[in-house]
Amino acid sequence: MGSAVRTALIKLCEFLLTALLVSFFTFAAFAIIPGDTARVMLGPEASEEQVEALREELGLNEPLAERYFDWLGNAFRGDFGNSLSFGNPVGDLIASRLPVTLGMSLIALIFVVAVSFPMAAVCSRNPGSIKDKSLSTAGHILFAIPPFALSMMLILFFSKVLHIFTAGRYTAPSDNFGAYLVSLLLPSLCIALPKVAMTFKFLRASMIEFSQGDFVRTAKSHGLSDLRIMLKHIIPNSAVSSVTVISLVLSDIMGGSLIVEQVFNLPGLGRLLLSAISRRDFPLLSGIVFYLAMMTVLLYFLADVISAMIDPRIRDGRAA
Amino acid sequence: MRSSTASRRYLYTGGILLSIVLAFFILGLFWTPYGINETDAASKFLAPCAEHIFGTDNLGRDVFSRCLVAARYTLLVSFTGVAYALVIGTLAGLIAGYNGGIIDKIIMIFSNGIMCFPGILLALVAVAVFGPSLFNVIWALGLVFAPTFARVYRTSTIELLGRDYILQAKLMGIHPLRIMFVHILPNLMSQVLPAVIIGLANMTLFESGMSYLGLGVQPPAASYGKMLSDAQSYMVSAPWLIIFPTLMRVCYILGLYFISEWVRTSVKGGSK
Repeated sequence: MGSAVRTALIKLCEFLLTALLVSFFTFAAFAIIPGDTARVMLGPEASEEQVEALREELGLNEPLAERYFDWLGNAFRGDFGNSLSFGNPVGDLIASRLPVTLGMSLIALIFVVAVSFPMAAVCSRNPGSIKDKSLSTAGHILFAIPPFALSMMLILFFSKVLHIFTAGRYTAPSDNFGAYLVSLLLPSLCIALPKVAMTFKFLRASMIEFSQGDFVRTAKSHGLSDLRIMLKHIIPNSAVSSVTVISLVLSDIMGGSLIVEQVFNLPGLGRLLLSAISRRDFPLLSGIVFYLAMMTVLLYFLADVISAMIDPRIRDGRAA
Repeated sequence: MRSSTASRRYLYTGGILLSIVLAFFILGLFWTPYGINETDAASKFLAPCAEHIFGTDNLGRDVFSRCLVAARYTLLVSFTGVAYALVIGTLAGLIAGYNGGIIDKIIMIFSNGIMCFPGILLALVAVAVFGPSLFNVIWALGLVFAPTFARVYRTSTIELLGRDYILQAKLMGIHPLRIMFVHILPNLMSQVLPAVIIGLANMTLFESGMSYLGLGVQPPAASYGKMLSDAQSYMVSAPWLIIFPTLMRVCYILGLYFISEWVRTSVKGGSK
């Protein structure tokens, strides 16, 4: 038990260290802007007084280390200052856009898991069969289509051919939760499909590996059904590594939603991020980047904890 | 290298797909049927026909010519970006794996830190801070991909460290740098090659995403991502504006994918 506590402590330390590092990267990226930050933000037409006032407001006249710790302390309390282009607090702006981005990421994740597991299970039973080959090829092709091109094709198909979808229509979850889910369904599908291909490929390889294991042969000789072997023996064994893959996929899904939102014209974090970039709104930009990166750090940490919980080798610190 | 029928099929399919892209690239260097920004008010939105085999866009520009030229940016960004990532990743991975201990820990924590930024996000930040240009996109994407290579190199280096010839080299007092680059590096090619090929494919996906958002390849240059974002408003009336650039991208990525499958299966002996 002692080693389990030690493993947990090490993981926690690593998590905190990574979080600190990520916060530093975020801060540093906006501290090393070439030239005078305030001047860059306001553009060449601004007067010297305006630039000086902004410099004062952003605390640019203070030493770098002090600025970092101020920024970090505020950031962890959710206070990223005020957006320059919208005027509202950055935290509020991010919170107002979250339902879209988080909702889409979650639906996409559910979709990835729900599709890639059965696909991998079917393919790994008879590797090299027609079923396996056609599903694998379909996976390759899905992987090769960029999400935004896929989005356009699906919009074209669903709205112009089937007439059951209107791109750009979004309902807030507080107004009508059902309509909210429906409006996010197609964009989530566009993010998920390329990731299905990735997850599927990985799961298939790991399931094939496990289905050649001794324990599967023993289970077969005991007369257990194929379905039971798959559910009780192969899937639990490949679960550990799949948690890691899914955490990687989640970070990709969040990145993908930044682009797909643009195609579907949805008011999510991606749109906010792009408008922050085009208006050179650095407080807003660093707030969003910090938020998204911290989410990812947390996800990786959770994946680590979950895989440690389901894998006795890691849990007891034998293979850590 | 032994290769089975299945893996040879991967090679042929991948080879054909990549040759199409390569042919476009080479042809585009020397000749295009029309100028890529040559507008023609009389021939807007022409469907594919004898004069314009891929059709024309909203300004009457020839899509085929633009596809020819766009191939060079796809190849440029993917190859230079991966080369850049490979240099950083190789150095970091070899040093971390060879030395172990505290140096290893520091390098790995740094690489984990970078991996916590969704790839496209880091590229967007680089563009926001340093301005939209192809060069900024390339180095930012290179930075995003470096940790992947560093990990592959680190793991394989650690595996090799226990081998007799490495121990012998150490006993002979050969300089660690020489051991890393002369004795270890050449032995890791088979592990690194698939990662490089997949890196090329992923790099292309990110690059087209950035160009789609208008932050990658800048006009007047033509890129598949930008062509698609321009075509979005006309996709119902002129679907060829979307189909051909997408097909080019799919050709390139699928081609790379099949080649990586070929490398993987033929190195292993070709059973899976």
